[in-house]
Amino acid sequence: MNAIVITENILQALAAGILVGSVYGLMCVGLGLIYGVMRVINFAQGDFLMLGMYATLYLFGWLSLGQYLGPYLGPVVAALLGAVILYGFGVLLHSTLLSRVTGIRVAGTESEGHYPQLILTLGMSLIIANGGLIVFGSMPQGIRTPLSASAWEIGPLIGQDLSIFLNKARSVAFIVSVIVAILLYLFISRSRTGKTLRAAADNPEAATYMGINVDRAYRVAFALGIALTAIAGGLVATYYPFQPYVGLEFVIIMYAGVVLGGFGSIVGAFWGGLTIGLVQQLSTLILPVQLQNAAIFVVFLLIILIRPEGLFGRNAERV
Amino acid sequence: MLSIKSLTVAYGGLKALVDVTVEVAEGQFIAIVGPNGAGKTTLFKTISGIVQPVSGSVMFDGKDLLSIPPSERAHLGIAHVPEGRQVFRSLTVLENLEMGAHSMRGRADWARNLAQILELFPVLAERRDQLAGTLSGGEQQMLSIGRGLASSPRVLMLDEPSMGLAPTIADQIFERIEEIHRESKITILLVEQRVAEALEACDRGYVLESGRVVLEGVHDTLIRDERVKRAYLGM
Ligand SMILES: Nc1ncnc2c1ncn2[C@@H]1O[C@H](COP(=O)(O)OP(=O)(O)OP(=O)(O)O)[C@@H](O)[C@H]1O
Ligand SMILES: [Mg+2]
Repeated sequence: MNAIVITENILQALAAGILVGSVYGLMCVGLGLIYGVMRVINFAQGDFLMLGMYATLYLFGWLSLGQYLGPYLGPVVAALLGAVILYGFGVLLHSTLLSRVTGIRVAGTESEGHYPQLILTLGMSLIIANGGLIVFGSMPQGIRTPLSASAWEIGPLIGQDLSIFLNKARSVAFIVSVIVAILLYLFISRSRTGKTLRAAADNPEAATYMGINVDRAYRVAFALGIALTAIAGGLVATYYPFQPYVGLEFVIIMYAGVVLGGFGSIVGAFWGGLTIGLVQQLSTLILPVQLQNAAIFVVFLLIILIRPEGLFGRNAERV
Repeated sequence: MLSIKSLTVAYGGLKALVDVTVEVAEGQFIAIVGPNGAGKTTLFKTISGIVQPVSGSVMFDGKDLLSIPPSERAHLGIAHVPEGRQVFRSLTVLENLEMGAHSMRGRADWARNLAQILELFPVLAERRDQLAGTLSGGEQQMLSIGRGLASSPRVLMLDEPSMGLAPTIADQIFERIEEIHRESKITILLVEQRVAEALEACDRGYVLESGRVVLEGVHDTLIRDERVKRAYLGM
């Protein structure tokens, strides 16, 4: 009896870890793309995630997507539309602000522009989070669909005794995250634009000699990175309550994931995020829920001590 | 075709080029030589737009290059094979060549150029799916030149292609450059430490010292010049 309960709990935590971990993976890919291409540490990434959540919430409500597309597709379409809006916002922010402290303009200058970048993204983070508070209010929100509180049962397995439950909202989020991450991977590795992004990341000066507009490549990377994290945010919003400061919680997860993934590698970032999800869910077996994020940090520090280049990092291959 | 007039370039307050004038006619092989720090790389970077001059003009086909953004210049047919090769280390050999063909001109001629590049440097064909960062120095130089050729350039600027290479490999690369010039009729600007070979191959040459052109002339004048013989050819 006891052994079966323990097995069931472990399997349940593993399943939940894979489901939420994949969504973390997607948000990490967004952050990793920006770092991998631009070498900019974006402190505002959590706040763009928050914007993705509210964009999904409002689009879902205003367009009555639940009514037209149902509880499965509705929130997903809202999240994708929200990502399009955030892509545009990213383009705007890059052309007005970030392009002044990144790219060819700062290549070779002292600190390669890292200090101004740091101040700028920190400032964006503060403004977006506090602006969010003014616009959206501090009341926790959520995208309620029938899926939020229902689950598929896998099982019973091993006779009649063992079943795993997969929350439907999380399962949808998992599937969409994996698909989007794979599409991004194909885009970066196969498409002409993807190769251009990698070339601009690898050697901005040589890329310019090839006729590649490095500024434009960075703009695409930044906007795309934000859009990906926003999709992840919109998906999280279907099963997790949020308010304008929610970015802080997730920025920790994203940084841990990206560092685990070997800073700058997109595939690594996804696995890093997945690992964080697993650690977080498995830790609930032995720790109180309040200590979830502490568990993430402990594992994070351990890995940094043992393997500073990240769990999945490879030195030769970036992005 | 390429006409540089009274070009002055400074980094901070320090002048790297002073009143430099260089004329390049279509189809010529131009050599630019001079000691370390003379400003040779700076001249190429100014043509490519990575560095902005203080004064002077750079005209290409009658167009004012300085008013054209750096990333647009490749599209006009200017290819820069930079000092230290600067291949895209995390991209494969083939992807590097594809990036070379990023310009409109390069895309249009991609298949033909690729065949020509792989024929010129067969080792690149063997290693087409290898990451460029794992190539040897000589192979990276071949890739860097191939990448320049992939853009179907009208002018190919080569900055010290023999730097850091074993003499036999450097000889090989030199022969390839002459072959490119002979067969494709591409205008070549070559910066070289191997002064004797560079001057031997050129139609016209410039000697830069401390940012100034101290000597210029056609092939015959230069190789007979007493100062050149003494300072650069060790005679
Ligand atoms: N980014 C830079 N910032 C400041 N000074 C520079 C920079 N690049 C070059 N210089 C200076 O400009 C001068 C010319 O440099 P440049 O690289 O053009 O010389 P070079 O002729 O190519 O030399 P070499 O044969 O060693 O490659 C040198 O004094 C160099 O120190
Ligand atoms: Mg040089």
